[in-house]
Amino acid sequence: MAHRDWLGLKMELPRKRRLLLTLLSFLAPVVLWSAVSYVPWLWHPLVRITAQGDVDYFAEDMDVPRADFDRELAKTRAAGTTPPEGHRVNPLYLPAPHEVARAFYTAFTTEPRLPNEPWLHESLGHSIRTIFWGFVLSSLVGVPLGILCGSYRFFSRLQEPFIEFFRYLPAPAFGALCVAILGIDDGPKIAIIFIGTFFQQVLVIGNTVRKVDPALIEAAQTLGASRWRLVRRVIIPASITDIYTDMRILLGWAWTYLIVAEVVGTMSGITYFINQQARYRNFDNVYAAIMMIGIIGFSTDLILAWLGTVLFPWKRKTRTASGRPSLWSRLRPKPIPA
Amino acid sequence: MNLAIPDYRQLSPAVAARFERIRQRPVILSIQDLEKKFGTDGATHTAFDNVSLDIHRREFICVIGPSGCGKSTLIRIVAGLDEATGGAVLLDGHAVTGPGPDRGMVFQGYTLFPWLTVRANVMFGLEMRGKDTTTAESEAREWLDMVGLGKFEHAYPHELSGGMKQRVAIARALANEPRILIMDEPFAALDAQTRCQMQSYLLQIWKKVDVTILFITHDLEEAAYLADRIVVMGANPGRVVEFIENPVPRPRSAAQFLTAEYLSLKARLEELIHPPTETGEEDRLPMVKLTNVGDDVE
Ligand SMILES: Nc1ncnc2c1ncn2[C@@H]1O[C@H](COP(=O)(O)OP(=O)(O)OP(=O)(O)O)[C@@H](O)[C@H]1O
Ligand SMILES: [Mg+2]
Repeated sequence: MAHRDWLGLKMELPRKRRLLLTLLSFLAPVVLWSAVSYVPWLWHPLVRITAQGDVDYFAEDMDVPRADFDRELAKTRAAGTTPPEGHRVNPLYLPAPHEVARAFYTAFTTEPRLPNEPWLHESLGHSIRTIFWGFVLSSLVGVPLGILCGSYRFFSRLQEPFIEFFRYLPAPAFGALCVAILGIDDGPKIAIIFIGTFFQQVLVIGNTVRKVDPALIEAAQTLGASRWRLVRRVIIPASITDIYTDMRILLGWAWTYLIVAEVVGTMSGITYFINQQARYRNFDNVYAAIMMIGIIGFSTDLILAWLGTVLFPWKRKTRTASGRPSLWSRLRPKPIPA
Repeated sequence: MNLAIPDYRQLSPAVAARFERIRQRPVILSIQDLEKKFGTDGATHTAFDNVSLDIHRREFICVIGPSGCGKSTLIRIVAGLDEATGGAVLLDGHAVTGPGPDRGMVFQGYTLFPWLTVRANVMFGLEMRGKDTTTAESEAREWLDMVGLGKFEHAYPHELSGGMKQRVAIARALANEPRILIMDEPFAALDAQTRCQMQSYLLQIWKKVDVTILFITHDLEEAAYLADRIVVMGANPGRVVEFIENPVPRPRSAAQFLTAEYLSLKARLEELIHPPTETGEEDRLPMVKLTNVGDDVE
C-alpha cells in the first residue's frame, strides 16, 4: 500500500522513484530552456539579418527587434526595393543548451585574450582556494567556540549576544575595510568569506549542541563522567553528526559569499572570468562558468554526504531498513566455525 | 463482592524469618524525611514530603504509586540528578551531593549512547573510572555475557530490540559495580511478553550479583513479582502510604500467581492504589451517547 502511494505524507519513496524524481528535478528546467531555445515561435524576439537588402541601417549579423524588421520589410516591399533577409533568434544573453554544453569544453580551451589573464581552470582553482581557506579558518575557531557555547551557559551568555548582533552586519560591507587592512590580494577575499561564515557558524553549532538529549548527559553522569569528559565523551559525539550536517549547509553559504568576496580588491577567480567573458559577449562561457560553480558545490556536498555515512556508522540505516548490509557488517571479521 | 482473602501481614514463618534476616543486614541507602518542592517562593508545589526509607544490602525495593506522586523525582534525588528541598539521602552513611558511579541508573528510555557499540557502551563507565582498555573490554564482555548479549557486542544500539537495549543498559550500570541500582519504570515501554521475560532476567541477575535494587513501577504485578518490600506512595502531596513486606516466598514463579499469599498481597495493593470512592459508587466516566452506529452495536 505504502509503495503505491506517491504522495504519502512524510513517507520515504522507494529507491527507483527517488532516482526518477531527482532526474526529473533537473530535467524539467532543461526541457523548458530547450523549448525556448529551439522552438522559434515560443519567444525569439529578435531577427538576425543575413542580407541587408536596401535598408540603410541594417547590417549583416545584426540583431534587430522583430517589429523593426517587419516594418522595414513592409516598407521595401511597398517601395519595390530589395527586401532585407533574416531569421528569428533569441537575444545573445540566452544561448541554447548545446552552445552552453559546448562551452563547458571550449571555455577551458579558449586562450585568454590578455597576457595576464588566467585560464578558466586557473580561475576556478583560485576560487576554490579562497573558499577553502575562508571556511577552514572560520571552522578552526567557530566550531570549538560553538561547542563551548552549546555546552556551557557561561560561554553562551558571554559570546552569543555580540555574535547575534554582528551577524546582521552584511559581510560585503567590510570589503573596503578588509582591503585597507589586508591589501588587495587574497587576504580580504578570505576575510569576507570568514566574516560571512563565522558568526552564523558559532550560533548554528551552539544551537545544535544545546539540543543534545539531556537524558544522555544524565546517564553519563550516573556512570561517573563529569565536566570536560562529559563534553568530550558525550556532548561532542552526541552532536557530531548534526554538526557535520550544519557544516555542509554552512559550506553552501560560503559559496554564496564567493562572488562578493572576489570583487573586493582586485577582481579574481571565477568572478573575473565571468566578467571578462560577459564583456567579450561570450555568454555561453558565462553560463558554463556559473553552472560550474553549481556543479562543484553540489558534488562537494554529495561527496561529503557519502563521507558522512562512512564516518558515522551508527547513523547508517540497519540492514533491515535499507536492504543492504552495513559497511560495518561487511568489514567485521567472520566468526570462526567451531 | 467479598472474597475471603487472608491478610497479607500473616506471613509464613519462613518469609517472616527472611525479613528478620534482611533487617539484620547493613543499611545501604537511607532516605531521611525527604521533601521536594517545585517552584519559587510564590506558587510552590509539593511533589512529596515526609519520605523516609532504609534500604538494606541486597534488598529489592519496589516503589509504586499513582502517576504524579513523585516517584521519578524521588529517585532522581537519590541518583543526585535533582536536589531535595529538605531531608537527606545517605549512601553508606555519607550524604549524596551529586551523581556518581556508586549509584547505577537505568532509565525507561534506554539512554544508550547511539555512537558507541554495545560493548563500548558497557565500557563507558569503566573507562570513566580509569580502567585501561583491555581490562575494560574483558569486563564489559563478562557483563554482556551475564545479560545474554555476548554475541551482540559489536552491534550498535539501533540494531537491537527494546528488551535487548534495556539489558545493555542494565549491564552498563552494573559494570560500575554500584552499591545500588536505581531503575525508573525500566520495562514500561516493552510489550507484555518481553516485560515478563525481562523481569525474570532481572531476578536471575540480581541473584548472581551483590547489588541492592530500587525499582520504580506503576505495575502492581511487577512489584509483587520482583520486590522484597513494596513502598506504596499516594499523591497530592506524595507520601508513603504503606510499607509492604512481600509475603510471596522466593524463588518466584508464575505458578505462585494463584497462591493465597500472592492474592492477599494483590488485594491490598489494589486497595491502596485504587481506593473505592467515598460515596461507594463506581468510579466511572459518564456514558457518552453514540450516534450513527448501526444495529450491530449494542
Ligand atoms: N521540573 C519540574 N518542575 C515542576 N514540577 C515538576 C517537575 N518535575 C516534576 N514535577 C511535579 O512533581 C510531581 C511528581 O512528578 P514525577 O515525575 O516524580 O511523578 P511520577 O510519580 O514519576 O509520575 P509517573 O508515574 O507519571 O512517572 C508532579 O506533580 C509533577 O508535576
Ligand atoms: Mg515517573
